Amino acid sequence: MNFWIVLTVNSITFGGLLFLLASGFSLIFGLMRIPNLTHGSLFMLGAYVGGSIVIGLFGFKLNFWLAAVLASLTVAALGALIERFLLRQLPGDQLAQVLVTLGISFMAADFCLMVWGGDPMSVATPEGLGGFARAGGAVFPLYRLAIIAIAVVVAVALWLLLDRTRLGAMIRAGVDDPDMARVVGIRVSQLFTIVFALGAGLAAFAGIIGGPILSVYPGLDQDMLPLALLVVIIGGAGSLLGSFVGSILVGFIYNFGQALLPELAYFVLFLPMLLVLLLRPQGLFGRHVP
Amino acid sequence: MATSALRLENVDAFYGDSHVLQNVSFELGEARMLGLLGRNGAGKSTCMNVGMGLLAARRGEVSVFGEAVTKLSPELIAARGVALVPQGRRIFRSLTVRENLLVAGRKPGAGSKHAPWTMDTVFAMFPRLKERTSQMAAHLSGGEQQMLAIGRALMGNPRVLLMDEPSEGLAPQIVAEVMATIRKLKESGLSIVLVEQNPNLVFDVADDIVILNTGGVAVVSTPAALRQDDALLRQHLGVF
Repeated sequence: MNFWIVLTVNSITFGGLLFLLASGFSLIFGLMRIPNLTHGSLFMLGAYVGGSIVIGLFGFKLNFWLAAVLASLTVAALGALIERFLLRQLPGDQLAQVLVTLGISFMAADFCLMVWGGDPMSVATPEGLGGFARAGGAVFPLYRLAIIAIAVVVAVALWLLLDRTRLGAMIRAGVDDPDMARVVGIRVSQLFTIVFALGAGLAAFAGIIGGPILSVYPGLDQDMLPLALLVVIIGGAGSLLGSFVGSILVGFIYNFGQALLPELAYFVLFLPMLLVLLLRPQGLFGRHVP
Repeated sequence: MATSALRLENVDAFYGDSHVLQNVSFELGEARMLGLLGRNGAGKSTCMNVGMGLLAARRGEVSVFGEAVTKLSPELIAARGVALVPQGRRIFRSLTVRENLLVAGRKPGAGSKHAPWTMDTVFAMFPRLKERTSQMAAHLSGGEQQMLAIGRALMGNPRVLLMDEPSEGLAPQIVAEVMATIRKLKESGLSIVLVEQNPNLVFDVADDIVILNTGGVAVVSTPAALRQDDALLRQHLGVF
């Protein structure tokens, strides 16, 4: 029984981490109509930068949470630069934009290898969250429970931003119909920058938050990117609710697949994606875009 | 010479290789209503798209109150006081009625002669929208969606309003309501281009008429003159 409970908590934890990664990916996909293939790299960069600050690799040390915020802001700024100075130079050419993001992801991987080397970097669990919680005979690592709480807080904050502010309504209008958004005077290109930076910052935040359970290693980007893609395809591009439900679903499928059918883990993981693409191409909560 | 609110001069526009507008020129006078008529595919909506910056003119010039806007993007043209009620309404379906109006809000430009449009004044004009402020726009009826599309355009406090087939797909009673609204807008001094398939609707409200045929301007006239010229209307519109 404990096995199932722990597996369930691990699935929700991983789903929460995926939500932090995929919510930004989904917003970028929904608004700019491109899968941002640097998203895995931004996750990895966040993990490396944050981890380096925690262990003092840059000549100064900060606690885990401040390092997470600083790494997220740094990567968000990098995201804004990528959008403004690279993607914006290719307006309307979505294939070229996707290829640029792919190119940047290769460069980022090489850059990380050069700076941090090929050995995995361990990130210590933040102070005070290294213990365990016990309930009904089952034991849960506190940090995993904290990740769930963080994901819920970020989900609520994003929901408030998107659903309760004018900026959020403008972003949703841009996802709905970018041309009409421009016609009513919304500067969609500025929204692109804001959303790209927000998505990059969230991905980096997910990277450092995930550090203590995943560690940081070359290839982490390529491990995470397909999962973000899965979440968006299952949940629907541009939908926050879709990202949330998709992340939890993928978290469960990933963990239960690995535990119960390890030989077929990828088959189990990608089968739902194929089914969704065949039966409901816009995803569970996405809107059909003609 | 009176100021042109909107002027298209020798405009050529293409969709891919298809030459859709050929040397199109017409102008909308300030506080006047221009009816733009033509058969399906004559280029009416393309003129609206060029005026709004959604399609770039490959040749020629578009100006708003004397200022060239030919190369500007839609958001910059909107900032110069042009608003579009597009064909098919294209309201933001996943936004509420209130949010559709909120995102389009813009203060009137300096020197505006009209009382500014706000959410309250839009709701006063369309009380039915007020009853549905929190409803998703996708769940509105066709008539309500058209009112929302008009209200959304007004929230930008435009000086020039481009209306692309606002009666399309609506029940006759709703069409009458929409036309009454358009008449009020004209009386408020707004400069309006009204694109319609049905000439009778336009003749009742427009000051000037331009008829497009296969991508070019075929006729520039007035409703009174055209009402007397069935042959001309049959030739270019294939109706009556």
